[in-house]
Amino acid sequence: MEVTLSSMVVQGLHGLVYGMLLFLVASGLTLVFGMMDVLNIAHAAFYMLGAYIGSTILVVTGSFWLALVLAPVAVGLLGALVERFFLRKVHVHGHAFELLITFGVFFVVGEVVKWIWGNFPRPVDPPRVLSGSIHWMGITYPVYRFFILGVSMVVLMVLAYVFLRTRVGIAIRAAVSDASMVSALGINVPKLFLGVFSGGTALAGLAGVVAGPFLGTYPGMGLDMMVDTFVVVVVGGFGSLLGAFVASLMIGELQSFGVLFIPRLALVFQFLLMAVVLITRPTGLFGEKV
Amino acid sequence: MSRFTLLRTVLLGVGAALLIVAPSVLSVVKTRMLTEIAYFALFAVSYNFLFGWAGLLSFGHAAYFGLGAYVTAISLKHMPGLHLLVGMGLGALAGAVGGAIIGFFCVRRKGSYFALLTLAFNQFLWAIAWKWREVTGGDDGIGRFVPRRPVDLGLFYLDLTRIPNKYYFTMAVVVIFLAMGWYLLQTPFGNTIQAVKVNEERAAFLGYNVNRSKLLIFTLAAFYAGIAGSLFALFQDFVATSAIGLGMSTEVLFMAFLGGTGSYFGPILGAAIFVYFTDWVSSITEHWEFFLGVLFIVLVLYFHRGFIGLIPSKVRGVFAAGK
Repeated sequence: MEVTLSSMVVQGLHGLVYGMLLFLVASGLTLVFGMMDVLNIAHAAFYMLGAYIGSTILVVTGSFWLALVLAPVAVGLLGALVERFFLRKVHVHGHAFELLITFGVFFVVGEVVKWIWGNFPRPVDPPRVLSGSIHWMGITYPVYRFFILGVSMVVLMVLAYVFLRTRVGIAIRAAVSDASMVSALGINVPKLFLGVFSGGTALAGLAGVVAGPFLGTYPGMGLDMMVDTFVVVVVGGFGSLLGAFVASLMIGELQSFGVLFIPRLALVFQFLLMAVVLITRPTGLFGEKV
Repeated sequence: MSRFTLLRTVLLGVGAALLIVAPSVLSVVKTRMLTEIAYFALFAVSYNFLFGWAGLLSFGHAAYFGLGAYVTAISLKHMPGLHLLVGMGLGALAGAVGGAIIGFFCVRRKGSYFALLTLAFNQFLWAIAWKWREVTGGDDGIGRFVPRRPVDLGLFYLDLTRIPNKYYFTMAVVVIFLAMGWYLLQTPFGNTIQAVKVNEERAAFLGYNVNRSKLLIFTLAAFYAGIAGSLFALFQDFVATSAIGLGMSTEVLFMAFLGGTGSYFGPILGAAIFVYFTDWVSSITEHWEFFLGVLFIVLVLYFHRGFIGLIPSKVRGVFAAGK
């Protein structure tokens, strides 16, 4: 393959788009982890569910925008049910059982998706406004991918605003550092947890709808995304949103340029990065706790 | 306890006799199933070395099972004339070495971090098996590597193309290693592992090297998984990426929890239930995995002790010493 400046720019954009999408998924995971100390293994299953529900809403109503709004709401509600009736129940039994229950949910959601939608990919087209490409200075790039960048940026800014500027955000950040103290101050921590978990899964659902036309909607999409988001969490540092952001972009670019230069190693770049980080900086780039 | 000891000896004798006559009484299909249960039982027990004994929750135990299976297959395939036992030994060793290296990174972390790392490393090895076609055959896998001629086992020759012989060979290896594992966990080493599980900080203050104990049990579990994997390769005479994938890690986790992680024998029961359950449900519905998942969630919510917990404790007491 001939390496020119414009092809490099395009490759860089690929990495950026995938990285931002990865961040969109990882942000919800990191949020829940930082606050509840629960690694939600089912997170990627909710991402997949979002993509599938979105594709059905698209088929039934013909509106991508409706799918973009309704699918995350549906997934968020389901997430709330999981938190209320499964996670909270096993909380007293300790950490391992919380992980196991989210693992069980991951497995069951994956099977439900195969049952309802079949064990094959579903084609999802981007809406007409967002199809086609932008041509600029000899570079051609699909509009839809800029849309993904836009959505991720908006989510990033909304999250930053909520956390830094609102009372709810302050309560959440306080609960991250000391839940029992926040509870003693009269804040309903279980309700807060329910809200954060539901919000986190809704973010996964949103990412799924957005990812559908880009990465495809297929039964293995949850697992593929799960592994990458786990690497993001390890590289970025546990519970750190900034770390998740930086690590997502690193993995996006690494995969994008890696495949270009060393195609043999596709699929393993993220793991190599993870191994390097584990050796040189075991707590992750922005993590403090071990 | 002497009454129990006598009862136990009698029951073990009856059990051994049943296992010996099984292939002559059962159909080929059932004999195959029993062989499958045997190596999965070893695999599930090795999983429980981690969770049940050391409190380490792994989502990536198939990595070592797969290493055992692949290395057995590759060495037998590419080195004609290599003794079957050497090939299988290399497989088991590969599991142990892989476990020692990956375990080194994992055991220094706790809880979610540990679980996540085991899963990521599993997927790493899966990706290598998938991409490195020249060696692993990629998604086509490797097949036909078990020697067609009878294998020299010192005292006698064994034709391993025959199902009953495969059964006896597998069962013998599994029983030997299960017994060895059981005795190993009764030693001070086993007690140290449990001390670490119950209270890591306290164990450290008492002078135990916590991380070294964890790495040891991790490596041992990986070694056992490697043996199970090499038996799997022998039985199937075919190894593909499914042997090292997360699906296999999920299955072993299900087996251990179905049977019960609180006892040494739980996962053995779990492997038997798993093989029968999947065979039965998959003959009724193609969505059997959904029902498996629901069963698992119900277990995690309501029956932490698994199916072995349903057996009255007096009956279990006959078998379970120590734990």
